[in-house]
Amino acid sequence: MSSFLGTERRTLRAGASGTRDRLVARVARMAGWLSRVTRMGAGATVPGRIVHRLDPGFIRRRAAALPDGIVVVSGTNGKTTTASMVQSVLRSQGISFIANPTGSNLLGGVANALVEAAPGTRMGVFEVDEAALPRLVPLLKPRLLILTNVFRDQLDRFGEPERVAALLRLACERLPDGATVVANADDIQLWSAVQACDPIGFGVSGISVSSDSGTEAEPVGCPSCGAELEFTHRTLANLGQARCERCGWRSARPRHRARVVATAGLEGIVFEIADEIVTLPVGGVHSAYNAAAAITAVEVLGIPAGAAIGALEEYQPRFGRAEEIRFEDHTLWLGLIKNPAGATVLTQQVAADRRVGAVVLSVNDNDADGQDISWIWDADFETLVESGMPLVPGGRRADDVAVRLRYAGGQPLPAQRDPLTALRAALDAAPDHDLIVVLATYTAMLDIREALFDRSTRVQDAATA
Amino acid sequence: MTSDLTLVHLYPDLLRTYGDRGNVLALHRRAEWRGFTVSVVPVTRGEPIPVEANIVLMGGGTDRVQEMIASDLLLRRPELEDLAARETVLLGVCGGYQFLGRSYVAADGTAMEGLGLLDATTEAPEDDRIIGRVVAEASLWGQSFELVGFENHGGRTVLGPRATPLASVVHGSGNNGTDGQEGAVQGTVMGTYLHGPVLPANPRFADAVLTRALAHALDGAVLRPLDDSLEEAAHRTAVTLAR
Repeated sequence: MSSFLGTERRTLRAGASGTRDRLVARVARMAGWLSRVTRMGAGATVPGRIVHRLDPGFIRRRAAALPDGIVVVSGTNGKTTTASMVQSVLRSQGISFIANPTGSNLLGGVANALVEAAPGTRMGVFEVDEAALPRLVPLLKPRLLILTNVFRDQLDRFGEPERVAALLRLACERLPDGATVVANADDIQLWSAVQACDPIGFGVSGISVSSDSGTEAEPVGCPSCGAELEFTHRTLANLGQARCERCGWRSARPRHRARVVATAGLEGIVFEIADEIVTLPVGGVHSAYNAAAAITAVEVLGIPAGAAIGALEEYQPRFGRAEEIRFEDHTLWLGLIKNPAGATVLTQQVAADRRVGAVVLSVNDNDADGQDISWIWDADFETLVESGMPLVPGGRRADDVAVRLRYAGGQPLPAQRDPLTALRAALDAAPDHDLIVVLATYTAMLDIREALFDRSTRVQDAATA
Repeated sequence: MTSDLTLVHLYPDLLRTYGDRGNVLALHRRAEWRGFTVSVVPVTRGEPIPVEANIVLMGGGTDRVQEMIASDLLLRRPELEDLAARETVLLGVCGGYQFLGRSYVAADGTAMEGLGLLDATTEAPEDDRIIGRVVAEASLWGQSFELVGFENHGGRTVLGPRATPLASVVHGSGNNGTDGQEGAVQGTVMGTYLHGPVLPANPRFADAVLTRALAHALDGAVLRPLDDSLEEAAHRTAVTLAR
């Protein structure tokens, strides 16, 4: 579909720089293969890092050669799913694109995707880590930047969420002329940080958590005068629409708002957006946010909401984001947790699903998870405890999870650091249920998947994702 | 009728960046499990602290949020001085610890007055945070125990003669990364940079705080021991990881 873009047409360059790019790419691919066969890593970012070393202009040239431009997704939660939803829509429209596999969202991962780009590829859709974003934006020159939200996350790496908002603003300021920012209008801190870049907003309504926020919410004051805000509705943590009684400030009105009509635990969520009803096959209000972001974004690319919705109703979840796996005659539902806001929306969704027999809560504290696990005390595990489901603490910090659940008023099953032992304990605790939920931090999820599949399957999966 | 333990959580809507609720939960449950009645009272901007408070907990926030509460907090000086004089336990963690001190000098040289309940001053150098796991040997009101936690702070705190360190650092940085001290104690007023949060991972610290706060109800008796096998296991894991 060539008409969906108003931008200039570019073609992959032939000639001298094309030959050079191919040579650089070949060397890099070989390094990636070496890394995989020597089991030094999954090989997903090694070639990219080497390419950037060998040839610092590579990313810029290869990105510029994609005729229909680049879309970048960043923010604390929902990067992978939003990017993957945008990709589903593009795929349904027959538009070829390249993407970085989940988790490989630093410079190396993006460069690697560009190494792997097949000739004739029209677009790039990348999820980019918040800290890597200001540096990558000038190289990628995206035409569209989607910003999902800003929550406390990996504070040992980022320091404060305010710093993340500042990084996102910096990235917006570095966008090329004519680029569009699509941002969450329900995230007051994010929106006020990027407001100067004329963002197009998305939001969610029709669902309300208590107006009194839980500890998973970021403290927000009026962006204009600092006074306490009055929320007219709150959907998730500190997301929602608010106004300031003192100075009259109001939340921005989004272009598209997903109005939630019905929820069905882990199974799905139904909402109305752009005068259409959407039945999304992944549950949770956060999924409605991701879908609203994707619909708003692809509209900027020229794809009407109606066409996008058709693709989203067929959406297949990605790595550890509402993913289902068969294990010993049970269905495992995998959900990634990494911060209070994301974990709370998942625990509430799990607790509301009566099909769930037991839950494994696996927390690691490796660098990729964040070494400081204090955040588990700000996440709402109380709702999970109150549901009465058997709970198995897992991961490197299984003991801390056990303590957390005990102080939430629960009686957790014994802590199990070994992933398979934890899964079996959950199965044993719920023999009559098919569905077992696994909530795990990033590297804990890798450990679980590694235990479930043999390594070669996992590497192949990562390479084709 | 007042409860055996009135636990005040100061600015729970604003100072809650690092799992501070865990400290409230730890004290609440550990008192409750021993049969004491507990009231948890959230107190935010513009609200008075109840006079019957036995413990006041104040957590940490981001710089922006700490600015939001600074004016309200300084108005509380007489209220908090009064509580301290009546031996109410005041525990500040991270930002809360800095507020309890005499002053805070930001990286840009702006000086802010503190509550002055701890003889401590804090200065923040430009963009150089102390972040990491901590193990320390604590000495509090005649008891010694090991503390474990996680620190994440820009400020460097130095104690004056009237405050004594809560602990000496075994692994990590503590108050300033140079003098080996961590936290501060002055009467029943305490501060620490450790989160994790600090009380659930250090049940002996939690019980020392409770013993002091429940002195009126205990009447010289000691707290009934609890089965702390989960807490001790988490404590040991954290210590092992720090080394």
